[in-house]
Amino acid sequence: MDKGARPNWDNPMQFVLACVSYAVGLGNVWRFPYLCQLHGGGGFLIPYLIMLFLEGVPLFYLELAIGQKMSLGSIGAWTAISPYLGGVGLASVVTSLYLCLYYNIINAWSFWYLFHSFQSVLPWADCPINSNRTGPIEECERATPTQYFFYRETLDISSSIEVNGGIHTGQALCLVLAWLITYLFIVRGVKSTGKVVYFTATFPYVVLFIYLIRGMTLHGAINGVKYMFTPKMEQLANPTTWINAATQIFFSLGLGFGSLIAFASYNQYNNNFERQAIIVSLINSGTSIFASIVTFAIYGFKATVNYENCLERTRLLLLNAFSLAEDSITMDTVFDWIEKLNTTYPQQFAEIADKLENCDLESELDTAVEGTGLAFIVYSEAIMNMPLSQLWSVLYFIMLLLLGMGSMLGNVTAIVTPLRDFKITSRMSNELLNGLVCLFCLLLGLGFTTPSGNYWFTMFNDYGATFSLLFIVLIEVITVSYIYGIKRFEKDIEDMLGHRPNWYWKIMWSVTSPVLLIALFIFYIINYIKGGTPTYQAWNKELPCMPMPSHCLHHVS
Amino acid sequence: MLEKILILLCLSSALAEQPCKPDASDGYKVRLSIKTALGDEAYVWNENEMFLFRATLAFAMRSHLNGQEFDVSNIIVCDETPRVTFWFVVTSPLNTSGLVDKGVVEEAIRMSRNRINSAFLLTDKTLEFIGITPTLTAPVNPDTPPWLIVFGVVMGAVGAGIIVVLVSPLVLKKRKKNEETDEDEEETGVKAVENGSTREGVYNMSFSDDERLTQM
Repeated sequence: MDKGARPNWDNPMQFVLACVSYAVGLGNVWRFPYLCQLHGGGGFLIPYLIMLFLEGVPLFYLELAIGQKMSLGSIGAWTAISPYLGGVGLASVVTSLYLCLYYNIINAWSFWYLFHSFQSVLPWADCPINSNRTGPIEECERATPTQYFFYRETLDISSSIEVNGGIHTGQALCLVLAWLITYLFIVRGVKSTGKVVYFTATFPYVVLFIYLIRGMTLHGAINGVKYMFTPKMEQLANPTTWINAATQIFFSLGLGFGSLIAFASYNQYNNNFERQAIIVSLINSGTSIFASIVTFAIYGFKATVNYENCLERTRLLLLNAFSLAEDSITMDTVFDWIEKLNTTYPQQFAEIADKLENCDLESELDTAVEGTGLAFIVYSEAIMNMPLSQLWSVLYFIMLLLLGMGSMLGNVTAIVTPLRDFKITSRMSNELLNGLVCLFCLLLGLGFTTPSGNYWFTMFNDYGATFSLLFIVLIEVITVSYIYGIKRFEKDIEDMLGHRPNWYWKIMWSVTSPVLLIALFIFYIINYIKGGTPTYQAWNKELPCMPMPSHCLHHVS
Repeated sequence: MLEKILILLCLSSALAEQPCKPDASDGYKVRLSIKTALGDEAYVWNENEMFLFRATLAFAMRSHLNGQEFDVSNIIVCDETPRVTFWFVVTSPLNTSGLVDKGVVEEAIRMSRNRINSAFLLTDKTLEFIGITPTLTAPVNPDTPPWLIVFGVVMGAVGAGIIVVLVSPLVLKKRKKNEETDEDEEETGVKAVENGSTREGVYNMSFSDDERLTQM
């Protein structure tokens, strides 16, 4: 450590951009649109915005205040508040460690897809041909080419979490690259991170904007956007809607990991973090809404393309079965012809009745997908149908990478900053400590590149951090409100900002947020008890599947 | 009796003149999707096109079975539909009543599939021989997968970046050290010169022993 002087951000803008880069991550792109669709489209914005103001912004403000006041990482900061509470900081560090282990795998997958986009035909557009050259590979034919590319060529997935194999070298190489880039970004601590966030925070918006224009001009995009924005107000009566809104706000802002405390600890003492907290939270929510418009435009396009392909197949089936001239049936008249032929030639029609598909645009739009299935399967499918698909593919995966890398910066900083505060490690140079942390996470992360790696990833993602974070933040807000005392906290903030927080903040911290968090906590406990053992969905290459994304899976406990 | 024999003869001759029928054991069904393939530039299917088809098929048979001279008359077509599907059978030039075996016809078509397709500006998908699956083109396998090349470039750039970031402070430190030692040397050099010049010294009169003036 530089003899006593703590490094600082070069200017407050770097701090804001770092927070934005950390908070705006993959969840904004692949979780929020799913929730929106699940809970009645435009209507979901109401509980979402209410929860933003009831728990999101106050808790964000709280963490920034603690970090800036104590000027220490999470362990040191909580120990300073009360010596018995160092465990809260330690819990944050451990949770961040879990996150670091598995989060960079997503970046590795993004790299894999990005590098594979530099081909004349995107590899997930067609099924590869089998060894006899008689047709496509069976597994690919039963699923779709995009699913085959993700589950077989990218992951080489096994049939269950127990079945294992060697490391997938391509994945391992991409993971090494992801960790090298992470190391490059954080190697000098705040000095290097501060410069990187100018890019990682702003470029995704450029890509999202380009995609907005591209998405809106796609054929059939309007169907998707209309579908999203027609609110289904009856969903508001469903308690799950409100719980999902609260959970989404909570996890989207990245509370409880210690990253916000770490970032704020590098601030100047008198930095106006109140305004910054509000700005960053609003930007985060705004980005979620913006990203979901883009996602729904893409959904609409994909659904329309699938629907029209279905109509085309039906048309061909009718033409071939009844030997009619090619231009007698067009896509618009398919349904009329089905009725006509059914009445005039019932026996012949009955013969092909089982091959006849039910083409429905609504049901295509209804397929709500989240997570890696959305990002790597649904989006890839939509991109391969666009003209100049390589360009769009490259842009899209660069955006995913920047979002993921931005969040990784926060995650690793959350681990390194508290470690630096200990005497043993403060003698080590910045570069060495950061390198050791990255190396450690890389070696453990290689486990996710094995054939059963995706199942481990799902386990970590679904069960690793969610519950503990709720607990950590609950303890945090109760500590500050009642153990440390709101009055002392007020004075500290007045010391830093020059004015006391007004009644809104105080009520949120002392009453509303703890109550909401306790409610969420109880809900999760009940869910766990009802749910039994944790489950995951497994890929079975034998079973024939329905042509819907991520449905070629069956539940395994 | 005679009438029965006559009827039988008529029937058999009639049958002999119609070797082509739907679901013939040695025949194939062909389906063309001209409008799908060519859209606005689609040509109309008429007698001339059918003649071209028969000629192309005769060409395919000739190419496959080198000795035998197949002619347009050896390709018999029937059961045409508005969809543009029809059945065809191939008679042998040596024995006009005998049909060429299904397997031989299939091999001939497979061999010249490309030529047949291009005669009609169609592809394997739009000119279908029901029962003959097209052989798909072998996948192109480059020596180095293209993704590895891009990966190598990015990895090289990142590696260079890390080395630069790690080495530059050391280089700066060294440069600073060199500058400091240079300054020290200059100072000592100047002092040495000064010392050298004071060797001669200026004789200070006040400390000289002036015996003439003071004697204690």
